[in-house]
Amino acid sequence: MSEIILRSEKVNKHFGITHAVKDVSLEFESGEIHGLIGENGSGKSTFCSMLCGIYPVSSGKFFLEGKELKVRTQVDANHQGVSIVVQEMGTLPGLSVAENIFLGEEERFMHGPVKDSAAMNREAQALLDKYGFKFIRAESMIENYSFEVRKLVEIVKATYFGPKVVVIDETTTALSQAGREALFRVMDAIKKQGNLVIFISHDLDEVLEHTDRISVLRDGELMGTVKSGSVSVDELKLMMVGRELDKHYYRTDYGEPISDEVVLEVKNLSVPGEIDNISFSLHKGEILGFGGLSECGMHEVGKAIFGGSFDRKGTVTLRDGLDGSSEGIAINSIPKAIKHGVAYASKDRDNESVVLADSILDNICLPSLDDLANHGLLNNGTLRRFAQKYAELMSVKMRDIDQYVSDLSGGNKQKVVLARWLGKDSDILVLDSPTRGIDVKVKADIYNLMSELKKKGKSIIMISEELLELLGMSDRILIMKDGKINGEFLRSPELDEKDLIAKMI
Amino acid sequence: MSATIAKFKASKYFGIVTLLVMTLLFWFVFRLLSPDNFGSTKLLIGYLQTSIQYAIGGCGLYFIVVMGLFDFSVGANIVLSSLVGVLLSRQFGYWGLILGCVLCGTLIGAFNGLLYSKLRIPSMIVTVGLMLILESVANYVVKLDTAGFPGKLTDKSVLIFNGAPWNYVVAALAFLLAVFLLRYTKVGTYCRAIGSNEYIAKNMGVNVEKYKFLGFVILHFFVGIMGLLTVSYGQGMLAVTGMASMDRNFKPLMGTFFGVAFTKSGYPVTAIFIGEFIITMIFNGLVALNVPTTINDFVTGAVLLAIVTLTNRGRKGSVVK
Repeated sequence: MSEIILRSEKVNKHFGITHAVKDVSLEFESGEIHGLIGENGSGKSTFCSMLCGIYPVSSGKFFLEGKELKVRTQVDANHQGVSIVVQEMGTLPGLSVAENIFLGEEERFMHGPVKDSAAMNREAQALLDKYGFKFIRAESMIENYSFEVRKLVEIVKATYFGPKVVVIDETTTALSQAGREALFRVMDAIKKQGNLVIFISHDLDEVLEHTDRISVLRDGELMGTVKSGSVSVDELKLMMVGRELDKHYYRTDYGEPISDEVVLEVKNLSVPGEIDNISFSLHKGEILGFGGLSECGMHEVGKAIFGGSFDRKGTVTLRDGLDGSSEGIAINSIPKAIKHGVAYASKDRDNESVVLADSILDNICLPSLDDLANHGLLNNGTLRRFAQKYAELMSVKMRDIDQYVSDLSGGNKQKVVLARWLGKDSDILVLDSPTRGIDVKVKADIYNLMSELKKKGKSIIMISEELLELLGMSDRILIMKDGKINGEFLRSPELDEKDLIAKMI
Repeated sequence: MSATIAKFKASKYFGIVTLLVMTLLFWFVFRLLSPDNFGSTKLLIGYLQTSIQYAIGGCGLYFIVVMGLFDFSVGANIVLSSLVGVLLSRQFGYWGLILGCVLCGTLIGAFNGLLYSKLRIPSMIVTVGLMLILESVANYVVKLDTAGFPGKLTDKSVLIFNGAPWNYVVAALAFLLAVFLLRYTKVGTYCRAIGSNEYIAKNMGVNVEKYKFLGFVILHFFVGIMGLLTVSYGQGMLAVTGMASMDRNFKPLMGTFFGVAFTKSGYPVTAIFIGEFIITMIFNGLVALNVPTTINDFVTGAVLLAIVTLTNRGRKGSVVK
């Protein structure tokens, strides 16, 4: 048996009255990749944040190689051999790549009061080259690079100094396939050196594939630790949720014909540098899936349909019924889209979907204020009843509707977004990566909701990078490549991932 | 050709080259419209001498503006530290003038920084209050100056910073110091980090309170240097009340905006210097054309907005705060 490199002893964390982590005692072995899973709000990120100095511990202790670990900041944790790649953005615009990598460690490059920027850039570039990221220039400003590239810089920052413990907190959702492979190589290298990786992810298949053992948290408590090779996804789900999830995770119906009634028609849609002349129709009660590699342009399609893209060319028209001669309603702005029953949930939930620094009530009521107003005046009671109704309909896990959305887990934020559009009774929902970074129970809830909406005659465009999700939920799938539609598939039990991938690459 | 232009536009030199082109353009236009009263070599030297004092203040303001802070007491400090410098010059000559301006300026910066961190209210509000306090103190200090005309520099030996070469030496040293602090010390990195995301910066071990305090100290150190040139050019300083010193805040601030706009390209100090020169040229160009002061200010402000927008316009749809 490998030796214990890290141990937690009855660790607790309170946020006001919320007991986020409850008496968690865990042991981690050296030379292992240890998965840490749980529903949203289960306490796994909070547990790791305490380990890494982001939050102070309310009570309990951590021990690293037998010695008590006391950290006040992330840099403090780094000095003691513990680092983290956070879920959110962890780099700072306004600084160069090199400055971001060595932020807090400038002393190494100081000669008295003078900072040797050239040496800092050289060393940063050497590290980037060593990791296989030669295309990233150390002296460039970080904001010149995409979110994914910045995540790669964070991985370098968190691992270059050979920490004994590295926490990877739901990082893979931000990365393309190539980025994920780079991350997994780094994780394997850390393991081979006899150190520890704590891997947090909602993708249970990924966790099973890349970890040695998995610990499960539920409602802040440790449910158990299992060997990855001897447990199935369903067993993990059972540990996470506490009850058997309905085996019918995705839809199970096949052969249902798609309605002839066209509700949305897109013709020659283009956005410079993103989408190139695509055309398609959406039918009543249809779930139309969009798939492809992450930079294929599919994410821009959702925004363009909603009227949120700049320099958009082509037309997006709401069609009323079968009559092709009717002009329909052109959707060319966001207010017009909302007014005519089009809803949109962006992939970038925190920046483009929810207002973090505002309450659940305000978020849910936001697009419906005109409908709720009485002669231009808003009644607080009306707003509260409205928001309460739809928050309960979506089973948002909250203290009350005055709670700030920033306090919610990712899954519950997504529920707030969907509650908002349910309240608006939108007929067409454009959902971009609706289950990204969300635990299995909430995913199942969202899939059930989509099925219910379909039955009611609502139409859904679902943009997703998860092939199983596309196969499981869509009536029809359009595959995009390099900004164009490259393939179309109808729902069928014989359709599998290989068919979609063939059109993606 | 279009590929070359696109590559140049994406390069880090685009902004600075644009500023230089704009400088030449403004010179050319005003020179054409008023050849006798604008833009001769002698007059250009005059514009340069005027602009360097504001550029020094602009460099100082950069350290706090980039952190998302503000300071309305800059003008009041210029007045107060100038008067302290005049007072000390009576005893100690130009060394007294230098030490009085710079030391007084820096101490006021430390006081500002301390008050801001203790009161925990927005810097804008703290410094408006401080502005009123400093104006009052300046009126008291001027009463202490009983040797000769209060606030006036009468001793010619003290007026070495009134013109070349010593005003240029002071300005060059100030600019080099600003570049050094921004590029070669932790101060520059941490000020930008705090301005970018204070929470992450704190988590990276940056002592946010310390560097905000330092930002105010550095700002007012540069304000002290600006005061040295201002009082030398004017051969004295008048104490004011009723927030009249506020007027002195805006010219250095305009240069700071240029600097902030060019942070990404890595040349904020150069941008401040060129920006102040452009603004001074425009102001003098309008005066040469006998344009009334009210329109003068309107045009200067409009040109500032135009230049900063042209050189640092965000992508369509990007969030601008």
